[in-house]
Amino acid sequence: MSPPAAGCCHVTGFKVENWKQNLRAIYQCFVWSGSAETRKRKAKSCICHMCGAHLNRLHSCLYCVFFGCFTKKHIHEHAKTKRHNLERGGGGGGRKADSWEVGEAATMEQPGERDIDGEEYGAPRQSWQRFNRKHRAIDLLYGGIYCFMCQDYIYDKDMEQIAKEEQRKAWKLQAFTPTVVSHYQCTMTGIGEKYSTWEPTKRELELLRHNPKRRKITTNCTIDNLNVLFLKYTNAYASPPPSVFIGLRGLINLGNTCFMNCIVQALTHTPLLRDFFLSDRHKCEMQSPSSCLVCEMSTLFQEFYSGHRSPHIPYRLLHLVWTHARHLAGYEQQDAHEFLIAALDVLHRHCKGDDNGKKANNPNHCNCIIDQIFTGGLQSDVTCQVCHGVSTTIDPFWDISLDLPGSSTPFWPLSPGSDGSVVNGESHVSGTTTLTDCLRRFTRPEHLGSSAKIKCSGCHSYQESTKQLTMKKLPIVACFHLKRFEHSAKLRRKITTYVSFPLELDMTPFMASSKESRMNGQYQQPTDSLNNDNKYLLFYHKQFLEYE
Amino acid sequence: MNKDAQMRATINQKLIETGERERLKDLLRAKLIECGWKDQLKAHCKDVIKEKGLEHVTVDDLVAEITPKGRGKKTQKQAS
Repeated sequence: MSPPAAGCCHVTGFKVENWKQNLRAIYQCFVWSGSAETRKRKAKSCICHMCGAHLNRLHSCLYCVFFGCFTKKHIHEHAKTKRHNLERGGGGGGRKADSWEVGEAATMEQPGERDIDGEEYGAPRQSWQRFNRKHRAIDLLYGGIYCFMCQDYIYDKDMEQIAKEEQRKAWKLQAFTPTVVSHYQCTMTGIGEKYSTWEPTKRELELLRHNPKRRKITTNCTIDNLNVLFLKYTNAYASPPPSVFIGLRGLINLGNTCFMNCIVQALTHTPLLRDFFLSDRHKCEMQSPSSCLVCEMSTLFQEFYSGHRSPHIPYRLLHLVWTHARHLAGYEQQDAHEFLIAALDVLHRHCKGDDNGKKANNPNHCNCIIDQIFTGGLQSDVTCQVCHGVSTTIDPFWDISLDLPGSSTPFWPLSPGSDGSVVNGESHVSGTTTLTDCLRRFTRPEHLGSSAKIKCSGCHSYQESTKQLTMKKLPIVACFHLKRFEHSAKLRRKITTYVSFPLELDMTPFMASSKESRMNGQYQQPTDSLNNDNKYLLFYHKQFLEYE
Repeated sequence: MNKDAQMRATINQKLIETGERERLKDLLRAKLIECGWKDQLKAHCKDVIKEKGLEHVTVDDLVAEITPKGRGKKTQKQAS
């Protein structure tokens, strides 16, 4: 699987003295313009010399300064007519100037003296080979080299190398010049490098050849080219494990650590997290990589997808969690939900490469993988009962904690404005509590009571108010936590109310935008099954065990 | 060149000069990937290559085969 280098024999005639420099100049000036002046030059001069159009797959002749449409065959005509032309001047289309003076390509050799092949102007053609040099053109849009003799694009290794370098240079230039364009591009990628497909180096090819076993994860994995996935572990099996077991591994309980194990199972099967770690996207910036939880997660993913069927012993992970989340240390039973939040928090901190445990300055601006996947926005509206002014705050969240019926706080009645329509295929008349019921309760307007008056900025005094929570921004993976443990002064008990949950969850009725349209009297459309915007699919459910 | 074409050329020039053209292209590229257009066309390309044979197919062949499909599909997606 060597890099695709399919040059053609006709190209050797092109590769005479200084051809590299000249080719680079063409790329810099007319294909990938990095700076403002090259852009100007490109804008002015990149039109067809025959018809003046700028579309139609403009190509430039590699022998002289001629731009022609590919679609309209203008460049083809040029290649043909030039073959019979001995002299430098004139030639197809009636354009006089053939030298690179047009467009002031100052990076070229002194204009007017030599042409692109290093030949002196006016010098008569001596050898027949020189005819061959005219039969190439370059695509000004993508930089591909077209050979008229072969009638196809060719991929010469040296020329490809130059093309790639020039593209990268131009991109870097664009990324660092202070214009609107560069800012957009920077925020798009977040890094200083343009995305390009992976081409293996010699060393990587060697490693791939020595480790011929390939593992297919799933069909809808977001990693490209699964058959070249690079695993650190290779073990000889008598027969390779069936692919349906890849990623499934048990976890040993290290002493009441089932709370951790279940969260670890959930995280290792989150497709986006899995793809992030298996494509090796974590670059550790911590001072001591052995204390980085993200690195440990990466190792954990390698373990899970190694194909081993024996249970894994996550002792290193446990130790790291104890180190970074002291409140979870010890062999007591802990809460899985607490562990999830602590784990996400530590991973989020370690993703930024900060070793001294600095808190995130602004959670809204973090772009780590944890925030990308798990962070949503919860909107809280406090409405003054006197002036009806609304004060809104939006807080980031990683999970939603839902109250359950059966606790000492009353579950019903629901929000006064609820339309009682069928949501998610359930109606609450059935008697069983559903997840949707819990969400409806969570997003109901709540009277804060006379003992909890809020200072209203409109009335400039303390007034009674109602508070309502809605979803402003949904995370990619939403975690719902059912509060089954009730703590009060006297008792600690577990609420065992059965709560049913659907396979598909539509969050549209709980969105801040839906609430707004309800308030504006807009007709609430029945959920459109074609619109997948606010919908979730269930992929993990943890049933708590009975604790003492 | 008639007035219409002249205007188009001027606009295009300005777009390139300010770098807006690149930005618009990136935006369009992202949208097309999002809606799956790119993957569909890629699959179609693979079919054409299988048909014609890897050694004999040229870029022109591919362009001829997928251009109508690509243009047709795009308007479909944008309408929905």
